[in-house]
Amino acid sequence: MSRSTRGPSAWSNRIRRVFTLYLPVGPFVVFALFPLYFMVVTSLKTDAELYDVRAVPYLIRHGMTFAHYRLLSQETYFWNWFGNSLLVSVVATAVSVVISVLAAYPLARLRFRGAEAFGVSIFITYLVPPSLLFLPLSTVVNRLGLSDTLWALIVTYPTFLVPFCTWLLMGYFRTVPQEIEECAMIDGCNRLQAMTRILLPMAIPGIICATLFAFTLSWNEFLYSLVFVSPAELKTMTVGVFSELIRGDIYYWGGLMAGATIGSLPIVLAYVFFLDYYVSGLTAGAVK
Amino acid sequence: MKRSSSAVSNNSRDVSRRQFLQAAGGGAAGLAGILAAGTPPALARSRELTFLTIASYVPDTDKELKRQFEEWGAQNGVKVRLDIIAHLQLVSKKAAEVQARSGHDLTALGPGLGDADLYYEYLVDVDDVAHEVGEKNGGWLNEADYVVRGRWKLLPWWLAPFPIAYRTDVLQQVGEPVPDTWEGWLRVSKKAKALGHPFGTAISHTGDANTTLLSIMWSYGASYVAKDGKTITINSPQTRQAMEFVRRLYTEAMEPEVLAWDDASNNRCLNAGKCFAIHNPISAYESAKAAKVKLPGSDRDIADVIDHVHTPRGPVDRKVTGGYWCIGIWSFSKNIDLAKDFLRYHFEPKNQYRWVDAGHGFNTPFLASMAKHPVYQSSRQYRFMPDIAKASVPPSWPGPATAASQQALDLYIIPDMFAQYVVGKLTMDQAIAWAEKELREIYTGRRRRV
Repeated sequence: MSRSTRGPSAWSNRIRRVFTLYLPVGPFVVFALFPLYFMVVTSLKTDAELYDVRAVPYLIRHGMTFAHYRLLSQETYFWNWFGNSLLVSVVATAVSVVISVLAAYPLARLRFRGAEAFGVSIFITYLVPPSLLFLPLSTVVNRLGLSDTLWALIVTYPTFLVPFCTWLLMGYFRTVPQEIEECAMIDGCNRLQAMTRILLPMAIPGIICATLFAFTLSWNEFLYSLVFVSPAELKTMTVGVFSELIRGDIYYWGGLMAGATIGSLPIVLAYVFFLDYYVSGLTAGAVK
Repeated sequence: MKRSSSAVSNNSRDVSRRQFLQAAGGGAAGLAGILAAGTPPALARSRELTFLTIASYVPDTDKELKRQFEEWGAQNGVKVRLDIIAHLQLVSKKAAEVQARSGHDLTALGPGLGDADLYYEYLVDVDDVAHEVGEKNGGWLNEADYVVRGRWKLLPWWLAPFPIAYRTDVLQQVGEPVPDTWEGWLRVSKKAKALGHPFGTAISHTGDANTTLLSIMWSYGASYVAKDGKTITINSPQTRQAMEFVRRLYTEAMEPEVLAWDDASNNRCLNAGKCFAIHNPISAYESAKAAKVKLPGSDRDIADVIDHVHTPRGPVDRKVTGGYWCIGIWSFSKNIDLAKDFLRYHFEPKNQYRWVDAGHGFNTPFLASMAKHPVYQSSRQYRFMPDIAKASVPPSWPGPATAASQQALDLYIIPDMFAQYVVGKLTMDQAIAWAEKELREIYTGRRRRV
């Protein structure tokens, strides 16, 4: 009885969801996931099928192979590269986010002469392309004696991470009501305590958003890694895979896609776990 | 109230402003000291020779080079490090090392000889090594081509000869003999295209396009710069003939996809069983053989129906170019003598012999004695390689290799000129006028700087 009374309503709800939610969202999901799908499929095909013009590129019809993953694991330094990327990305991100918090707070909160110009100049710094910056930076890295070490990357990545994170966090900090901090300071907090005990806990979504962005930028970085680090075992994943699997006019497509598939996992996992924070961090201030 | 609360520090863990400034000042002074000294912190000062090279198209070549490098290092008590990067990355790497005046001791240079001019002040003269190497190996193939501003600034290392790779089974279906001229290949390719097997050569921003289109131009007697390295010669009747030929080749024997090809596209087209013929080194064949790629709809290996023949001749000449990869020693190297010593070792006839062997003839040295290497007789696929190497000239030919010639290559002026004409975007005269203007600007600008 209850089933029959709920039936039409539940059915119409489902229909409505299909037309108002799944159908409109579906194409975007397919569009977003297609590169990942194509990457995985290509990494599991045999070389013969990859060359077969009559094969359907989106399907595996002649059997799966893990040969490309074996090639990566056994004939290259792939897992070294993976570890290097992870280490560099984590350390550079941590350093950059700490610096950015310390830079964004005064720019968002304190009134001092040139604060606005300073904020804009930080943003402009971010706009300078790495393809120009790598030349002067190579001199700095050399003089610091960091060439061909992972420290070269840990030191240089903040040059593009800090401006970006600072700008992002400035915007987020401004959305947190200043009055809360002022109340804390009336109650005895100093400026540093107001920041660490009041502002930062409230700004966690913004900080996670900045951290995710910084990690992604570090993980995907190519040029500095190429220029500042040469030994094969010290390369990061982006450069290592490119160096080993593109040999002149021969592209090892299966291996390249296998590397890209494994390489995308940390980013996918990071976004899966922190998606809610990421969205709220990005949309902060959108609605007053 | 705010001021007083922030100024008073009740927590022993708080850092005072004075302490912070002292610590920060100390750190900055230390960093400034390192920067001012211009030397890194003291590290182990053992003798170490480093070599930056590009990933070879045939991986065994890299293994043999590494073996020789380590063997030489062991014999001389020198720690060695061979770093291998993709050839597309070399431009950035060279620029960074020159900017920092630091990096590897030995470096691969190229493609082309323009680096000798571009980095003239940053490369050590290797005249002494070049003469010794030439004497031991029966001389260099075309010595005059490799000397820049009267000096040997690099040693020409290897080129990948550009034969025509074609499908023997398709040629049989067409019922024609193997052509030897560009016109002949056009005639046969028209018939092959009708069977679904077009000719394939890139007319795009890729090294293969520069190579093939320059080869066609030279074959018709055209060039883009004169021997003096100053006079732009692209506006000529010969260029017009070459352009008309390429237009016919494009419209009658190829497919529009060649306008978007990269270096790997022609390999893929041949190995996928689609293309009838391509103008390319033997890398397509080698990779098809290694991956056991099958002829579509058959159990037969496609490598079994591929053959390589001489680069085609035109009405005037038979000329071609290739990668022209070289080795140089940076002037900021602290191990110049060691680097020269290794070059002498690597260019010893027996070591060159083993290195060419490892590359299955793909990497052809610019040394006369290596043209007789038995690898070229080991398979009929390699039989034309020495002849093609002899017919090869630097990309700047007949002009000298300069920074300007390198820029003309890097900006793909020649492929763009052809592409704009064959797709009908510009008339022949307009396309040539455009290329002439671009080349004139490149050469004028470079001359001013030099």
